[in-house]
Amino acid sequence: MTHERFEILAQAYGGDIARWPTAERDAATLLMAAEPEFARIVLSDAGELDAALDLWAPVAVSPALRDAVAASAPTPRRRWSLNAWFMRAGVGAGLAAACAAGLVVGVMLSDAPQAPTMDDTVSAAISNYDDLSGLVTLEGA
Amino acid sequence: MSDPDEELLTRVGEGDPAAVRALVARKLPRLLALAGRMLSDPAEAEDVAQETFVRAWKQAPSWRPGGARFDTWLHRVALNLCYDRLRRRREVVTDNPPEQADEGPAPDRGLEARDVGDRVSAAMQRLPDRQREAIVLCHYQELSNIEAAGLMGVSVEALESLLGRGRRALRAALADMVGG
Repeated sequence: MTHERFEILAQAYGGDIARWPTAERDAATLLMAAEPEFARIVLSDAGELDAALDLWAPVAVSPALRDAVAASAPTPRRRWSLNAWFMRAGVGAGLAAACAAGLVVGVMLSDAPQAPTMDDTVSAAISNYDDLSGLVTLEGA
Repeated sequence: MSDPDEELLTRVGEGDPAAVRALVARKLPRLLALAGRMLSDPAEAEDVAQETFVRAWKQAPSWRPGGARFDTWLHRVALNLCYDRLRRRREVVTDNPPEQADEGPAPDRGLEARDVGDRVSAAMQRLPDRQREAIVLCHYQELSNIEAAGLMGVSVEALESLLGRGRRALRAALADMVGG
């Protein structure tokens, strides 16, 4: 590696050769070993700027942002097994059928003539008896 | 090259809440740092980070290894969102550019009195967008030169040129802090 290339890399990637392109690190290391004073000056110079750049702290993540981002993720998908699906489908269909049957019966009952109850029969008998009593009275008069 | 996020992404795609939290913990600080340094506006940076994740959630179920790493893809999405915002800013201020703050040390104040981070931030914001992007990707996000060049759509040589010019400009802007 030439001196010029070493300086270009330091100017571009900074004073830590661990952050230089992988393919050029070995050659840079050899140059550092061969000319330590040159390398020290170049890397130290670049390292000063690195240190200054590192003093610019990143924006901190607030708990509110973290929670909002996590909440924006899709809700978990339900994993139904085939048996569970059939069971749920069966129960659902059964309930639907029961509801439908109940509805039909309810409608039929509301439209059908009211069957006489025991109380109604007794009342009618009493009523007829009263009427008959009246006829008897008229005949006797 | 295996993707270190692959297993986590698979679980996210299956709707695993723990994987969602883990992915947020792993990637949100990086994305927020990227957007914060590209935009120098914490609120806008948060918006970009959130929008990037919205797209990540859509992508996770269909993510297939073998192409770009997920982290690189996330950077691409976030950078595009940052550039959308930078473009909008330029459209707003084209006719009325803001005054540039004086970044040099005041004669009656020592360097110690300054917030060095703010000085660096101000100097970075004065760089051309592409030079700032190159430094953010390589120095702050610690991407490899190949990844950064790929994201920026330039050759490695062009990336090195952007980095070199950007760092020289920063050195000049921060000359009172950085020797040489």
